Amino acid sequence: MQLPKDEFERLGTDPIPTYPYYRQDYYELEVAAIFRRTWLQIGHVCELPEPGNFIVRPLEFANASILITRGPDSVIRAFYNVCTHRGSKLVPDESGKRRTFTCQYHRWTFGYDGDLVAAPDFERFFVSKSRCGLRSVAVDVCAGLIFVNLDPSPDQGLQSFLGPMPQRINTFAVARATTFSEYVYDIDANWKLVIDNFQENYHLRFVHARTGGRQAEDNPFGYPDRFEFMGPHSSQTMPMRGGGDVKPKPVQAAGMGKIVEFAAADGLLSGPYAKDYCVIFPNLFVFGSGTSPFTLHVTPVSAGKSRGTFRFYWIGEDDSASKRFAREFLTMMMRDLHAEDRPSIENSHQGISSGALSHIHFQSQEVPCRHFFHAVNSRVEEYQAALQRKPVTT
Amino acid sequence: MSAEPKRLPPGFEQLEPFVAQWAVKGTAAREQLRGTSTEADRAAFYDAAHDILPKALAYLDGKPLKDFDDGETALMNLMLSLAHVALSIEIQGSEDAHHRKVRAHMRITRSPADRDD
Repeated sequence: MQLPKDEFERLGTDPIPTYPYYRQDYYELEVAAIFRRTWLQIGHVCELPEPGNFIVRPLEFANASILITRGPDSVIRAFYNVCTHRGSKLVPDESGKRRTFTCQYHRWTFGYDGDLVAAPDFERFFVSKSRCGLRSVAVDVCAGLIFVNLDPSPDQGLQSFLGPMPQRINTFAVARATTFSEYVYDIDANWKLVIDNFQENYHLRFVHARTGGRQAEDNPFGYPDRFEFMGPHSSQTMPMRGGGDVKPKPVQAAGMGKIVEFAAADGLLSGPYAKDYCVIFPNLFVFGSGTSPFTLHVTPVSAGKSRGTFRFYWIGEDDSASKRFAREFLTMMMRDLHAEDRPSIENSHQGISSGALSHIHFQSQEVPCRHFFHAVNSRVEEYQAALQRKPVTT
Repeated sequence: MSAEPKRLPPGFEQLEPFVAQWAVKGTAAREQLRGTSTEADRAAFYDAAHDILPKALAYLDGKPLKDFDDGETALMNLMLSLAHVALSIEIQGSEDAHHRKVRAHMRITRSPADRDD
């Protein structure tokens, strides 16, 4: 599949510079220009099913911990996980259920809405409780996915930022999910190299020779049928056509047969976007396939370290032996496949960060990588330009 | 796990020799076992169990998961271990020992199968 000519003209065909993929100064600009002011997925509503549930998530790039609560009013709120007295980390747990949060240092206690509700010997302070609430973080939900934005006043809301994405991902399993499977890796690579690996199929037949299955004879690389760019976001329509007459082995056939059956019962096989693989800027992938309903979230930890969190979103708890078996089989099969990318991505980071190359090359079927580079780099350049126009005040 | 082998439901007696090693609770523990077992142990379990999988799931589907007795739970966990072992036998083949080192970095952090264990 070829892109429309005007898209190629817009994105260009030049080699791409390497320094954005490893240099510390560029990473710091990305954090300021993108991660501190863009909507970022941080969780899913099924992690907060009831009033009183909370989750805590680290955002290493901001050296921050974020507390997300669901109140008795069912509203989801987000705060910096920092006691407003002297800045201690407020909640040490990763998740749980409680109405109030008490700092272990001097026992200041905050409500689900961030208000300071009690503090010992508070009469001796020189401030009112109403001025001591937790520092809130902008939060919103789309298709069950919880997003936060560290900008105190984001220049656009989540729905506006996502553009046409919600109409797709609202049809995916994630929008109705009540539970999920998860596996995670830490990886010694710049976050963009992880993203790039997951937005090109060129490597599939080499890196995933056994786990990737056979592609159709007329498309041996398994290239997407279609690319679409929506502002900084993109999507690819996956071919999802097997090749040859290779018969699946017995357990794989049983596991995948049941996955197809359950996906059909959930109405996930026939939607208009059921083959769409969505890349939500800057760091989230959401696959529309009902038979592989996964998301990948890439967290930058430093210029040369990242974390990949893979989730399979399910509608309903396991309610039969067959469903339990099918979910475990699919998740472990995909874990085998997803694990295989890690050495390639780390190798790439090692080579690029040596400074041996000034540029790298993307072919036409790697155009989402090129589009992504431009989306990142244009934001970094705009940020730098704005810095030069006005003095830094904060 | 009890030292005494659990009795599997009637009709699945031929899998009882595998219960002590393979009827393991927890997705991460089953994955660990896939890696620490010998190739011969995996092959013996796969050979004995893969044909029985459809019959076992059909039998277990007759009851809600929460009502399983010890024998039914053991049969369920055997079949879940088979899901892991089959990836080594059916897909990885001779590459499994190398692949094990690659996949070891991928930590299993949540599984719906662990929710009521």
